[in-house]
Amino acid sequence: MSEYYGIKVEDIFNSMKDRFRPEGAAGINHSFGYEIKNTGKWKLTVADGTMELETADDVSDCDVVLNTDGETFVGLSIGKVDAMSALTSRKLKIQGDFNTFGLTSRIFQKYMTPGQETRQEQELLTLKKTISVKQRFATGPVFGKFLKGLKDKKILAIKCPECGRLQTPPREACAICRVRNNEWVEVGPNGEMRMMEYCYYASPDPLTGETRETPYGAIGILLDGCKDEEVFWHLLNPEQLDRVKMGSVINGKVTHGSRLRPVWNENRTGSIEDIRYFEIDE
Amino acid sequence: MDNKIDTGDSYVIEGKLALPYTYFAGRVGSTFITTIRDKHKIMGVKCNTCDKVFVPPRQTCERCLEDIRENWVELGNTGEVVNFTVVRYEDKHLPRKVPFVLALIHLDGADTPMVHILDGVDPEEVKIGMKVQAVFAEKTTHTILDIDHFAPV
Repeated sequence: MSEYYGIKVEDIFNSMKDRFRPEGAAGINHSFGYEIKNTGKWKLTVADGTMELETADDVSDCDVVLNTDGETFVGLSIGKVDAMSALTSRKLKIQGDFNTFGLTSRIFQKYMTPGQETRQEQELLTLKKTISVKQRFATGPVFGKFLKGLKDKKILAIKCPECGRLQTPPREACAICRVRNNEWVEVGPNGEMRMMEYCYYASPDPLTGETRETPYGAIGILLDGCKDEEVFWHLLNPEQLDRVKMGSVINGKVTHGSRLRPVWNENRTGSIEDIRYFEIDE
Repeated sequence: MDNKIDTGDSYVIEGKLALPYTYFAGRVGSTFITTIRDKHKIMGVKCNTCDKVFVPPRQTCERCLEDIRENWVELGNTGEVVNFTVVRYEDKHLPRKVPFVLALIHLDGADTPMVHILDGVDPEEVKIGMKVQAVFAEKTTHTILDIDHFAPV
């Protein structure tokens, strides 16, 4: 008997009963014919979650008939040969519906040599570790003043001496006018909802590695005293994600969003998290 | 422009970033480690086309890209130092107190060298060409450190 990849064509057929999966065959009622060149013909009948295999002289009455050589057949069974390329190179012919033949991959477990079976059950090693990285965030004078403001329940914005726009969180310079910002203005703390990003994936906090619960809403708030694009980014009360109304200014047409107020933490440390989140002011 | 900046509001926030991760050794890597752990044998994989034996083992041949994951060959637990470096800076991820030697060891029967700790010899005494053998760990960590180190024969 010829062997391909160390396997005989008969090995594949003889092991079909052991590899049969009744749960995979449920609902499949078909007959499959196999014509393996210079080897023989087999007829497989699958019905009501059972199977029957017999050698046959004629398989032309089957729903689908697979016609191929021994090497291609063994290769297909063990996953060394791709069915599509075998079809295009005409090493494999299928009479009947190709998709019906594809069902056999559900009906049977993959053929494995005895050695392969033990290797499948091998112990797989994983290593779980937590890296700890020391971080130092230097606020600088401008961001430091802003964070100290939060400690006192104040939201501070910085004003550009040229164009007059407000930035919060503040930056040392106005990137549009390229001048140093110099005037502080207290804004908010209440404001108006502009837009929200529904976040399903939270990246880790660089200071702790912790991630917040998802989904959460990252929102842009137009704090009282600010105008146009001078929105402040923070979080929305996660309970209110589906209730909040967004606002916009499109071609001068103003749509007002929900009024929002900050919820301050009792214990404030001079951090952006001194505001727990914003919530609907009602 | 007035360049005097008041730094009275500047301060530093200290943090510690915890990054949990899971490293999966893969099927080939797992077999490599469990064989070292359970049988005290170092295995490589051979590419029959290129006639090369790789250790640490790999799934595909780096030259001809052939699938070689099943072609296990047993190597000797002895080999030869082909290069080395002396680690002299302390860091918590390092496996030993410094100074210690990391050597490229060409195991008998292999075609590629493998990195491991070389111990039992003064760092100043290490020579290229030195014959060494694997010393297996008494306690398993399920890692490559199940070979505790290599030592001169």
